[in-house]
Amino acid sequence: MKKLAVLALAGLVFVSAALFFPTSLAAHDVNECYKDHLDCRVNALNLDAPWYKVMLILTVCDIALGKCALAL
Amino acid sequence: MAVLGVSLAVSTAARAVERPGVGKWKTVEVVLPANEADEACLGRPIALALDVDHLYIVDAQDCAVKIYSKGGEFHRSVGRKGRGPGELSFPSGVSVIGGRLYVADKFNYRVQTFDRTGEPRGGFSVPFAPDKAWGLTGETLLVTSTPTGRTADEKILHIYDVGGRLRWEGLEARASSDPVYDAFRNMILVCPGMGGDFFVVFRCGERSILHFAASGSLVGKILVDERHVFQPLDLPFQGPKKRLLGFCWAAAWDRGFFYISPPAPVEGKDLGPGRLLSVIDREGRLTASIELPCPVHRFIVEGKRIYAIDDDGGLRIFEVVR
Repeated sequence: MKKLAVLALAGLVFVSAALFFPTSLAAHDVNECYKDHLDCRVNALNLDAPWYKVMLILTVCDIALGKCALAL
Repeated sequence: MAVLGVSLAVSTAARAVERPGVGKWKTVEVVLPANEADEACLGRPIALALDVDHLYIVDAQDCAVKIYSKGGEFHRSVGRKGRGPGELSFPSGVSVIGGRLYVADKFNYRVQTFDRTGEPRGGFSVPFAPDKAWGLTGETLLVTSTPTGRTADEKILHIYDVGGRLRWEGLEARASSDPVYDAFRNMILVCPGMGGDFFVVFRCGERSILHFAASGSLVGKILVDERHVFQPLDLPFQGPKKRLLGFCWAAAWDRGFFYISPPAPVEGKDLGPGRLLSVIDREGRLTASIELPCPVHRFIVEGKRIYAIDDDGGLRIFEVVR
């Protein structure tokens, strides 16, 4: 019974992912994400702020790229 | 712990000032005229240039190049926000050569040209966000880029002719598995030299200054004296701790000497702009240090004068007293 529930849950996750990702990725232009990411980096590097702060902002840019590319 | 951080910062700064065999030059501040016009106020000044009569300051926030006399009197502003001819989106560099202003129009991905009156005189597109544009020979421009970190063999330096034809590309971006670390290692400053030659100073991790000819060929490397000390900074993320060695916050070149401001400790563990300038000769020897009354973000040197941008984004002019 437990095995069946796990299998059903896994199947549900798989089907949801299969239905969700192709549509969301199609609607979502990944190139836009890369462009925003570049702008984010360029802005951070031009801030003329202390370097530790710039590092944190660059890290946020990278996280935002990941989020955008996965359409999360 | 905070007290320890502050005292370490103070002692590091003190050590930097007291270096044996190195001259200490003082400065006297030049009183600037009161500029009443709203346009004279600087929002986000990020680059400076000089010609015979004027000082040019790029204001990224106002999307304009602001022109002052060399005494600091505001004359006029060139450019406004937009995407059309004569309009700018995050300008980040300016160079004046042969009476023309070449502006790195970053988010419009182009270099725009203006005449002295501020009229747009064309320009050309580039396939990257240009960071700085330097006139080299009157016919060629050096344009720098910020590497994206997404493709291999990215180049940081690009030489174009004034018609926008690419003549040369070079200085490969450093790449590793850590894009944040790489972003810092690829931060460079360019100092135009004589006859179209130019120098590249890495802001961290590198003690040598690269000397390029106007054609782009590498002429040599100048190894800077160890009395100009690195300022370390530990990176917070991504696996084993990586340490940046801060070398230079801002740099300028004038009459055979490099003026390099080392980053200074701020708020305990961070590095920011400092108020010391190391004067380094063509052989890399530290010949003097200049102590300014305030930290400076950007500066340009001409003879005894230092034109600088302070912490509040204001223009300051200093005269060096030897």
